Amino acid sequence: MRRPGWGHLLPACLLVLFYLPVLVVLGQAFLRPNAWSELVSFLDSQPFRRILAFSTTQAFWSAFFSVALALPGAYFFGRYEFPGKRLLRSVMVLPFMLPGILVVLSMVVFYGQNGVFNQWLATLFPGRKLAFSGLYGFKGIVLTHVFYNFAFCLRTLGERWERISPQLEEASAVLGASPLRTWRGGVLPLLAPTIGDVGVLVFLYSFLSFTVVLVLGGYLYQTFEVLIYIEYNTKLNFARASMLAGIQMALLAVVLSIKRWTQRLVQQHSGEAAPLPPLHPKRQPVRTGVFLVYLGGSLLFFLLPLVFVLIRSLKQRGLLDGSWTFDNYRLLWGDSFRFAVGSDLLTVIGTTLGLSITVGVATAILAYLLARGRRQLPWGKLDLWLQLPMGVSFLTFAFGLIRLVGRSLHPALLIIWAQVFLAFPLVYTLLRTARREWGEELLAAAQTLGASGRELFWTVEFPLMRKALGSAIAYGIALSLGDLSAVLVLGQGKVITLSVAVYRLIGHYHFPQAVALGTLFIILAVLLFLIVERRLKHEAGFFTN
Amino acid sequence: MKQDFLQIDVAKEYPEFSLTANLTVAEGEFFSLVGPSGCGKTTLLRLISGLAVPDRGRIILDGQDLTGVAVSERRIGFVFQDYALFPHLTVKGNIEYGLKVRRWSTAQRERRLRELLALFELETLANRRIQELSGGERQRVALARALAPEPFLLLLDEPFAALDYGLRRRLRRELKALQTQLGFTAIFVTHQQEEALSLSHRLAVMEGGRILQVGSAPEVYSKPAHPFVAKFLGDANLIPCTVEVTGAGLLVTPEAGAAFTLPVDGGEVAEPGSYLLMIRPEDVVLAEKEVVYTGELMTVEYLGHGFYAEIKTGADLILKILVEKTTALKAGQTRGVSFRKQALKLIPIN
Repeated sequence: MRRPGWGHLLPACLLVLFYLPVLVVLGQAFLRPNAWSELVSFLDSQPFRRILAFSTTQAFWSAFFSVALALPGAYFFGRYEFPGKRLLRSVMVLPFMLPGILVVLSMVVFYGQNGVFNQWLATLFPGRKLAFSGLYGFKGIVLTHVFYNFAFCLRTLGERWERISPQLEEASAVLGASPLRTWRGGVLPLLAPTIGDVGVLVFLYSFLSFTVVLVLGGYLYQTFEVLIYIEYNTKLNFARASMLAGIQMALLAVVLSIKRWTQRLVQQHSGEAAPLPPLHPKRQPVRTGVFLVYLGGSLLFFLLPLVFVLIRSLKQRGLLDGSWTFDNYRLLWGDSFRFAVGSDLLTVIGTTLGLSITVGVATAILAYLLARGRRQLPWGKLDLWLQLPMGVSFLTFAFGLIRLVGRSLHPALLIIWAQVFLAFPLVYTLLRTARREWGEELLAAAQTLGASGRELFWTVEFPLMRKALGSAIAYGIALSLGDLSAVLVLGQGKVITLSVAVYRLIGHYHFPQAVALGTLFIILAVLLFLIVERRLKHEAGFFTN
Repeated sequence: MKQDFLQIDVAKEYPEFSLTANLTVAEGEFFSLVGPSGCGKTTLLRLISGLAVPDRGRIILDGQDLTGVAVSERRIGFVFQDYALFPHLTVKGNIEYGLKVRRWSTAQRERRLRELLALFELETLANRRIQELSGGERQRVALARALAPEPFLLLLDEPFAALDYGLRRRLRRELKALQTQLGFTAIFVTHQQEEALSLSHRLAVMEGGRILQVGSAPEVYSKPAHPFVAKFLGDANLIPCTVEVTGAGLLVTPEAGAAFTLPVDGGEVAEPGSYLLMIRPEDVVLAEKEVVYTGELMTVEYLGHGFYAEIKTGADLILKILVEKTTALKAGQTRGVSFRKQALKLIPIN
């Protein structure tokens, strides 16, 4: 309040740094000569209809299957207490921390033409010629999106279900309603907004999917995001790329407004979590059995592809029936690696860590400063404006950035710029929520006890925000690790991260090295996950309960 | 003991609310600010502590003008309504906090800590985390923490609000004893009249950002200067009446009731005119002689130690009365009442 000039400088800078590239894209898309006539003719063309149809149908089915498969699990998580529940729940964050390219790699290793799944089918049904051949195509893309989003749906729906009082169902039953009627009249209406909300979110992610569709879709299946990349990178057609980005933004705006609506519905009905009865194997043998089968199935669905990346990385030439070896890891130091990837391993790892840590720390600091300043300055709708990066894809932003600054800045700086802004909404929300959890009273109390200035920060603010800051940094790092598109566009072939390296290895059919590098990458992602998880554990009282 | 230990003369404007206050608190006094929610009592505390800055006026503590003195330099302890204990510190860490930031030496700090832990019976809880404490324990930690750096003045903002009735009563007594023992000056904010009456040497009744009356508890209770004060502190019957001055004293004619004469004591009311007659329910008595009102008993509630009843008199006036249990009362009876004259208070209508 004392220095409004400085206080307003930060959000003003952030808004400019973020919106300028976006405006450049929009300007190029709609303010060029002939822009509108081109747009109209494109909207009327076969390719547009094909992409729109593919993007929406795959996103719809991805959302549908993710939610449908998650619902039975959500029932058990929302209605029963069982040992290991908290641990399972925190493990469900893991897929979200996995970079997209790793998910693709795992899927290829497991469900690919010569993958583990098909070998098992062949062993189980010899002579029947059963094989899953749809990984590179519509089914494979949906399957991968479900792999990615299913656990998140299960977690969110389960938590919501816990907050629907079991007494409602009991009351309904006492009034004479059948179980089906009870579910339709008592539970479903309360659960539906969350189902919708989660569904829209999965739809959004799948609609924007880049890495998965780039690798698995080939030239037949493309989302807008992939097409922007192809137009820009392969065909060097900037005008067309901007137009696509503009169209995608408009479509995203529609999805996001639906999301806002579902989110409001969710907030309307939020109850308190009630204590749940334990799931008793003796008293509910059938239910327990069904749950165990479900749980086992989902864990296998979830973990097997990852585990087999590890196993195959230790096999001769990456083949399942090869002998055990470290050769694949040795190959990472070889010339073929450098040839395929364009850089050596240590540089790749160094670049990746350098970029992602910078992005994580920078995003957390900026978001924190803003969250802190937010409590004094009436910035009105600022929060909404800062949430908007959610409605702008990586590629759109990266593309706008390169049109805006061109080659005047180092590619690494451009990548950091882009990733910071794309990580910003999530990190900001996380820190703002954490900052709100403890009131201003604590700072007031510290002041009355004699603390001021820096002391106030280091003795109260920092200790209380430490865990949230840790998570915020980890989220920023995870996002940076997982980003392929912004690095491909902004790195101009000079900045090679782990994601790019794995992508190139897959592109060159260097599977042995891809799985070896993938394993190292998975370990990194899991370590990161453990940092976030540690915080969750403390918060959920994992050890104390 | 300095009578003008703390002098407050401040004003603060908010868009929807303004506060003006003029008060003096003596050294070692236990002073209460009482009033309904939103009357400005918490704002006044924040102004004194420096957490809010007044628009006009000044606050002088022990001869020192506090204008421009930072919160951290004022040495005014503050007990917050929800305690505001640091969740990342233990009981010990919380109590020590003020000593650490004020750079007390380790030896001094430990001595003071031991003293406070003993005083508040917190020895066994010293290493507990705040989340593991009960409401009453937290309250004690908050008080110990505020007192630790030996503040010149202690401010308490509804410190018992979050506790249940029984605990509140016990802690109230403990706080009073503690204050008597240690002799610190305290300003206590509450919206509960019972708390204010039982704890304070003096109290101020606030409403709508103004101080209506300041005085000792019996004074304010029995001689309210304002209808709001009468209603807020305890139950009161407020009856419009006219007063004439006669040779025998004051002739009081309550609305729709029988006139009676009040001897002039100390010449408190000398002006004839319209007044509000304030009489507490316990000072309304069932009577056969000198009856002021006669009416039907509407509600009769048995309270154990007596009865509470409401009598409907003429002109839509309902009188609240409190009588001993020796009297048998039943709803529907018609009874006459008179007033204990010495307990009656005439409040001028402005």
